[in-house]
Amino acid sequence: MSDRKLPRLLQAPAVLMLLVWMLIPLGMTLYFSFIRYVLNSLRRPEWTTPSLSNWRGLGNYEFVLKNKDFLLAIQNSLLIVCSILFLTVILGVLIAVLINKTFPGQGIVRVLLISPFFVMPAVNAVLWINMILDPVLGLQGIAVGNINDLLDSLRSAPIIGSFFSLWPELNPISFRATQTSAYAVIIMVTWQWTPFAVLIFMTSLQSEDQQQKEAAVLDGASTWSQFRFLTLPHLGRPIAIVVMIQAIFHLSLYAEIEIVSRGNGNKNLPYLIGEFANNNIGAASATGVFAVILANIVAIFLLRMVGKTLME
Amino acid sequence: MGRIVLDQVSKTFGEVEVIPPLDLTIEDGEFAVFVGPSGCGKSTLLRMIAGLEDLTSGNIAIDGADVTEVPPSKRGLAMVFQSYALYPHMTVRKNIGFPLRMEKMDQAEIDKRVEAAAQSLNLNDYLDRKPGQLSGGQRQRVAIGRAIVRDPSAFLFDEPLSNLDAALRVGMRLEISEMHERMQTTMIYVTHDQVEAMTMADKIVVLQAGVIEQVGSPLDLYHAPKNVFVAGFIGSPKMNIFSGPEAEKFGAHTVGIRPEHTDVSMTEGTWKGTVGVAEHLGSDTFVHVHDTGLADMVTIRITGDIAVKHGDTIYLTPQVDRIHKFDAQGLRIE
Repeated sequence: MSDRKLPRLLQAPAVLMLLVWMLIPLGMTLYFSFIRYVLNSLRRPEWTTPSLSNWRGLGNYEFVLKNKDFLLAIQNSLLIVCSILFLTVILGVLIAVLINKTFPGQGIVRVLLISPFFVMPAVNAVLWINMILDPVLGLQGIAVGNINDLLDSLRSAPIIGSFFSLWPELNPISFRATQTSAYAVIIMVTWQWTPFAVLIFMTSLQSEDQQQKEAAVLDGASTWSQFRFLTLPHLGRPIAIVVMIQAIFHLSLYAEIEIVSRGNGNKNLPYLIGEFANNNIGAASATGVFAVILANIVAIFLLRMVGKTLME
Repeated sequence: MGRIVLDQVSKTFGEVEVIPPLDLTIEDGEFAVFVGPSGCGKSTLLRMIAGLEDLTSGNIAIDGADVTEVPPSKRGLAMVFQSYALYPHMTVRKNIGFPLRMEKMDQAEIDKRVEAAAQSLNLNDYLDRKPGQLSGGQRQRVAIGRAIVRDPSAFLFDEPLSNLDAALRVGMRLEISEMHERMQTTMIYVTHDQVEAMTMADKIVVLQAGVIEQVGSPLDLYHAPKNVFVAGFIGSPKMNIFSGPEAEKFGAHTVGIRPEHTDVSMTEGTWKGTVGVAEHLGSDTFVHVHDTGLADMVTIRITGDIAVKHGDTIYLTPQVDRIHKFDAQGLRIE
């Protein structure tokens, strides 16, 4: 008895600290989500202080569920997170396998590959939306303009001109539009987070047993079979780690969404919480509770999926 | 079938010549052992035969067909690695069946062959386990199973027993020898352990710094080592080798006498010395003798037991007809 008490006693402050750290914000969020609590109201000034007398029951949840943006926010959260995960894992594995071989200039290439990860999210978003994706002034606009000019001159050329006159004029895509702003976010975050995946996969590839590969070569395995049956299973665990960490980070994307379109056509749950929190803390808290539930569901499903397919 | 012929095969890594051009023939069904100290190029030679290393020059032929440019998987050879190199994510069944799966063989046929291989290696109870759940000896068996399931023309073993403990090593040594007797397939076995070489081989190839020092049956090497290096390398405990005036008495620059070919007496003999450490094994006693004037230490092997202790004076007499004589170049004088 007594030799168990002491360690527990010594652990207690840390455990208490962690509990307080986690439970107080969660408890306050839950509390706020059940009461009427706004930052500013001329009509009902009593709602501006949190109090049990402003009890609203499930009213805040009902309000959030009926909000026209709520379903969009959930869909978008999932679309953005899943697309980014899919793209970064595939690109990450391919690039990691590619640069795992020794070649001249390897060090510089690796540093350059990692560097996007050190760009701040807001800067990343500003760079992409203004300099690259902008339909007029960005790389996209310039490229589309040049291709159109080239097509124009080809149309007036003899003989082949008639063929090119069948080609349509290209139109640049506006990535700030309602329909496309989510894709802009996916592109820029994928660019930023692929290096993270590359970094993790690369370290894992370096620990791969070379004799296993030699054995596979003697067993008649093609390069693809070696990748499929040895390298990919070997990467199972790092892929699970990348998926888990990125899911946590990308469920809470905010800066990119704000900068690309200020939520126009593209809201996720954190952005919706931000909008509510301009005044309606009760509704923001209820959305927060939904966000916690969503994050848990996503985490469970993704880990199950990755675990089953790769750790067989 | 599996007659392997190396013709002027050489290997250089950058500036370093690891294996100068060498010729070697391994007959069909032969158990050949490459033996030598670490870094002598024996593993490199094996990997060149397997196709895992390119040849700098020369040719390798298997059953008369030049395979120098043939990829490893098409050479019809199977290799067992020192680290076993099992595929950690696959069950034993899938590990053994992997080469057949790569050949796009019918699943029913794969199952049949895997079962047969597992049966011969006593692995049936472990087929659905993963390599991580097996002991060292079992992993070694799986690696061998993965090799025999392909029905190769020759087996290549790269120090397969060096990761096992002593007792298991003796057991596996017997099993591999028995496997060879049963299958009568060519086997090339690389080891630095001369006991393994002596006990398993039909033909031993002694290598030093990439050069073949001698090729022959274990007893040829034991009874008639071609030079001082082979004399010192084959046999345990090591042959006593000395030069100087005592050697000149036998008309040679260097003389070697095996520990088991020296008679001892407490009263009289050719050479006088002091007993150092005596190792009593029960069946044998190894006595290390100092101050003989021949070499720093002379080892003597006596069958049975002898009552000597540290510091005793001892007399040694060589069995003259079993003395090995070498000239100044270290080559054997008949």
